[in-house]
Amino acid sequence: MKRLMHAVVILAAAAGVAASPSARAADDVITIGACQPITGRFAFAGVAINAGLQDSLAYANEKGLVKGKKLAYVYEDSGYETDKAVACFKKIMAQHNPVIMYGESTGLGKAIAPELNARYKVLYGSTSFSSELADPKTHPYSFVSGPTYSDMFGILLEYIAKQKGAAKPKVAFFYSDTEFGKDPIPHARKRAAELGIEVVAEVVTKVGALDVTSEVLTLKKASPDYVIFQGYVLAPIPEVIRSARDHGLKAKFMGTFWSVDKTIIDKLEQDAEGYMGVNPYAYWWEDAPGVRAMREYNARVHPEEKYRPNSYIQGWFTGMVYVEAINRVLAAKKPVTGDNLKDAIPAIKDWDVGGLTGKVTFVNNKAAVGRVYQANPAKGIFEPVSDWIYVK
Amino acid sequence: MLIGNYQETYRSDEALLRTPAVRGWMAALLALALLFPFVAGDYLLYLANLMGVLAIAALGLNILTGFTGQISLGHAAFMGVGGFGAAFLASRLSLPFWLAVPAGGAMACLAGVVVGVPSLRIKGLYLAIATLAAQVIAEWVFVNWTSATGGIRGLNVPPARLLGLSLDTDFKVYFLVQAAAAAHVWFAANLLRTRWGRAFVAVRDRDIAAELIGVPLFRTKILSFMVSSWYAGIAGGLWAYFVKVVTPENFPLSLSIQLLAMVIVGGLGSIKGTLFGAAFMTLVPEALKLLVGALRAVWPGAQAYLFPMRDVVFGALIVAFLIFEPHGLAEVWNRIKRFFALWPFEK
Repeated sequence: MKRLMHAVVILAAAAGVAASPSARAADDVITIGACQPITGRFAFAGVAINAGLQDSLAYANEKGLVKGKKLAYVYEDSGYETDKAVACFKKIMAQHNPVIMYGESTGLGKAIAPELNARYKVLYGSTSFSSELADPKTHPYSFVSGPTYSDMFGILLEYIAKQKGAAKPKVAFFYSDTEFGKDPIPHARKRAAELGIEVVAEVVTKVGALDVTSEVLTLKKASPDYVIFQGYVLAPIPEVIRSARDHGLKAKFMGTFWSVDKTIIDKLEQDAEGYMGVNPYAYWWEDAPGVRAMREYNARVHPEEKYRPNSYIQGWFTGMVYVEAINRVLAAKKPVTGDNLKDAIPAIKDWDVGGLTGKVTFVNNKAAVGRVYQANPAKGIFEPVSDWIYVK
Repeated sequence: MLIGNYQETYRSDEALLRTPAVRGWMAALLALALLFPFVAGDYLLYLANLMGVLAIAALGLNILTGFTGQISLGHAAFMGVGGFGAAFLASRLSLPFWLAVPAGGAMACLAGVVVGVPSLRIKGLYLAIATLAAQVIAEWVFVNWTSATGGIRGLNVPPARLLGLSLDTDFKVYFLVQAAAAAHVWFAANLLRTRWGRAFVAVRDRDIAAELIGVPLFRTKILSFMVSSWYAGIAGGLWAYFVKVVTPENFPLSLSIQLLAMVIVGGLGSIKGTLFGAAFMTLVPEALKLLVGALRAVWPGAQAYLFPMRDVVFGALIVAFLIFEPHGLAEVWNRIKRFFALWPFEK
């Protein structure tokens, strides 16, 4: 009984410490809150996204990019579960009252939307590239920090359309039966038809499927020139590519943002030859002023980090968008509120981010730009094969 | 100090709350529950609502697993049926919530009958696998029956409206969820004192003996499945109104297991244990989060280790409970009660 009482006292004390209200934020501090998927299914990217966003804001503070103001970043782990993430969102709003929030998933974006629009009214960026969140009518406070998956397909299809001269190129879509996998497919079908590209097969699998023989045979029968993956991070992409090579399939394989990370070359090694994909951002190793600044900051502050994945760059870029929106509101001599920040996003046009991505223009709460890259297994990196492609 | 419990009429002997002290405490609890939303912020209200919804679902599972002894790994699927049912009726047919939620419950109830049928032939681990199959099938249906469930994107649910009042904030939803939770606790507490409730327990303790004393096994088991999935369906419907969007990702196998953990941590076959279990499983991870937040102030940079550690600590806590108190939180509560019942004359 005594032990139990001890436990109760300790728990109560801990709750007391943690629940004590944080000091009232000063006027010259702008608070940015984040619910990050640091544990759970999405942790592979969440940790890096969080680091990228945090570093980007710290970099802005260090360089004084926001005049006369300091940015404060508060974040919590939300574990990639919608109910926990909503709790996290409400908690950060109650404790810190930020003007900008960052969210862990498409699910959180959808669940919080009614209250975001009616009550919280803060600028909301997230890990999601879902086209659903890029609808200014239903999600006026949200933005997608880059192109949506539909736009990424649009970029790949435009690239494909330019490659072949007279013959009608044939593509196959290979996607998972998840929201992530199915999101861009209707748009991709439509866009392919407009560009005169024939969709010869659509293969749907589970994420992480291991035996892909029958899927590869389906592909072989359709004999596409290009196969575009969507809705996977790693498995089964390497398995499909290896097995397709074994079956003598000549198609070129392509991926979107999550499946063009360096890890896929590390996994495929020599078999990565010819693998292509669309990336909205430049890679860590590229030589552009924006990327160099990020590398220099890391060399100084995190000397132990020799490489940062694409998800880190995604977080870093989102931080830059926040800073840009704040600066635009300050330049207009308006108070930094969620409403003013929200209105600043669509005003961003042809914004030069030093080669971290193309010229950034936000239309429909997204910046639909990306570049096609090809794997170079000998060097273990992706290299650009196109210029920045802009789509609508 | 309480020295006896003297009843003069059958009526008072049959009452749920039998002593003035218990009635007093319950009144105090009710007053606290009514006062709570006026002092608590959004975050605490949200947690209270989440707890209320999960408590209803866990109660259903405890009726099935704790009282009737039928293991189910498909409880989240029934929640999903109720959630999608209510969301469909609310968003497509514009039914008011007080029709949509019970209709969702009824759909879950029907699903429960179907899933419950094999329970006559199989029990124990085999039944667990059969219900697991139900979970997998339900998830597949949620994803692929696009015309009804909205597929992978799910359905958006308009806020519940009651007497012209839109229940769009946590504050307003609180009263709806807690009232529903209270009604379901009251129903469960009474159900278990009826002939049917006792039949559930008889089936759990020894099904052959139960049949010998005249308990119709099949009907009892099916009824238990029906009641249980009604609870899950109602919880799912309330979930839909309270999270405002229903997607297949909301009702995974891990939720079924989480509900089972609530029932086990709280105490199998105990109603108040279920409530404790729901509170424990919802609040302890959040409390650990607060603890990590407090530690961050003294040890910045530690969160990379602390966030994953939270899950480890949570798991260890559950295991510790099962080792030191296999009867769950309900038994801890009983011990505390006994301690104070004798206080200050403790040995």
